[in-house]
Amino acid sequence: MRRISSLLVANRGEIAMRIIRACRELGIKVFIAASQADQESLPARLADRVICIGPSHPSQSYLKAETIVMAALGVGAEAIHPGYGFLAEQPDLPELCEQKGLIFVGPKAEQIRQMGDKILARKKAESLGIQVIPGSGLIHNLEEAIGEAEKLGYPVLLKAAAGGGGRGMKIIWRPEDLKILFPEASAEALAAFGDSRLYLERFIPKARHIEVQIIGDKHGNFIHLGERDCSLQRRYQKMLEEAPSYILTSELRKEVCNYALTFARHLKYENAGTVEFIFNPEEKKFYFLEMNTRIQVEHPVTEMITGIDLVKEQIRIASGQPLSFGQPEINFKGHSIECRINAESPSREFSPCPGRIDIWEPPLGDKIRVDTHCYQGYFVPPYYDSLLAKVITWGENRLKAISEMQKALANFLISGVETTIPFYQSLLQNPDYIKGNIYTRWIEDIFLKEFLKNV
Amino acid sequence: MSFFSQDDVLFILKLLDESEFDELQIESKDFKLIAKKKGGNLEVQKTGSPQLAPELPQKIIEDEITTPKFKETSFEVRKEGQISKPLIFDKDLVPIKAPMLGTFYRTPKPGAPPFVEIGSLVKEEDPVCVIEVMKCFNTVRAGVEGEIVQICAEHGQMVEFQQTLFLVKKIFDKKDSPKGSQA
Repeated sequence: MRRISSLLVANRGEIAMRIIRACRELGIKVFIAASQADQESLPARLADRVICIGPSHPSQSYLKAETIVMAALGVGAEAIHPGYGFLAEQPDLPELCEQKGLIFVGPKAEQIRQMGDKILARKKAESLGIQVIPGSGLIHNLEEAIGEAEKLGYPVLLKAAAGGGGRGMKIIWRPEDLKILFPEASAEALAAFGDSRLYLERFIPKARHIEVQIIGDKHGNFIHLGERDCSLQRRYQKMLEEAPSYILTSELRKEVCNYALTFARHLKYENAGTVEFIFNPEEKKFYFLEMNTRIQVEHPVTEMITGIDLVKEQIRIASGQPLSFGQPEINFKGHSIECRINAESPSREFSPCPGRIDIWEPPLGDKIRVDTHCYQGYFVPPYYDSLLAKVITWGENRLKAISEMQKALANFLISGVETTIPFYQSLLQNPDYIKGNIYTRWIEDIFLKEFLKNV
Repeated sequence: MSFFSQDDVLFILKLLDESEFDELQIESKDFKLIAKKKGGNLEVQKTGSPQLAPELPQKIIEDEITTPKFKETSFEVRKEGQISKPLIFDKDLVPIKAPMLGTFYRTPKPGAPPFVEIGSLVKEEDPVCVIEVMKCFNTVRAGVEGEIVQICAEHGQMVEFQQTLFLVKKIFDKKDSPKGSQA
């Protein structure tokens, strides 16, 4: 075991703020690697030292594992926290860290690699007796795709083997679609992931997205922190997350959490991770989707209902300490919701709106948490994602948490950039959302059409 | 909220340098800047940094921006442990900046003589140092023709992206020379 006394944050934005906060609470000196555009950002100002690692474009700064490791060595940091996105799920970074004697706050390179290959991950799940959505192996050409789709039964989902976060997925309703979309998807996968390999999965039309937060240490302890329901998505990107899932019975909850734990134990998984499932409410069945080997954007809803600080726990585990709690000590209390406030225009296909923030007045309240790196006068740069803030609320039950969120967003004043707040305000009043009659494509199929009519 | 970035201070000093006034004083809650002109040279005093850098020739004043003691209330950018960035007032001086983060080496290989020394004359294409990122050595070229007048980074130390490595006194044709600095 090696106590960490200094850490380099290899990320930006709200997650950099989140990591800095955890380090402060643990008494760890914190450095931040910043691109040229982020040198004067709030996390850069709060850190004990900022190291400029390169130009604004992420490919020349935040995605350069070697440069980040050099920066950590140069300032004498003992550990690197990758946050989410950028290098968080690139096995190169933990490998380099190991070579140079640095602690990587995350799982082992091998675990990232195994779960990064989505086909391998599916095979792993099957071998553990966890169902996966019926699907094909790798598909090499159009004829094979048509044959496999026939076997699975339409509709099917065409996915990139190296994909993740829903990017590059296409729904195929009939064989004719494949003729157009197969070459398209293959080219897109190559451009986005440097890997053109594709596979097919049966498409479940009214699915829910349920994921389980797990955490494991170097001493063979594995626990789960319950599930999150992230069924509200647009183009496979999560828009609103809740914990716990309000459609699961306690038996189903136990079932899905056990699947996730089985996975963690089998991998001897170290650090925080999320096992994602598709839930088909008609069959009451879970299908393994993928495992994310990082801290996730939506981790605060789990923290709100368990009272556990996941980022602090990540750092403790990385230094070799055992988990600071056992499964029986995890108590779930109330309900929590997260809305991702982005600098985007909901009425213009959610196109990003970078620019200067003139007014920034986040809501306050004892049931409200706002994770953000923004401030009045901050310039939202065009090089990175458009997340401005995550608003998280807590209530004794789901309806109270929703009501807290409605009030929080009404009290959130931003001007200078367009934001997704109006979209969430409308969503939070929608009767189907309140009743929970939603599914992963509901926003696109139904809600957005109504919302856009009224804009 | 008081907030002076390095650029702000540089800008203020430039204003004074170019003005007819001899003295400037700016004060806010946790920041104080006094600058006086003596015999054509600038002299800077700031709270929290009692040691003034010695005056260098060519009217360079090297100074570390003060780290404020009011961490909670101030947004000053901290540059702890960082090699100070020279402030340049002479229009003939051009910095050679690091094109990437990495380890700065003045020599092509261990034991070899440095690429350049103070006083070396360089052409645009001349190598001046190498920056190593994980065993990958990147040659940095002068990019400007002139005389090396200051070496601003330490051999074997990490330099950040865009950190100033050298100052070069530019060589002008006589007719282009703004101040007749070239004999």
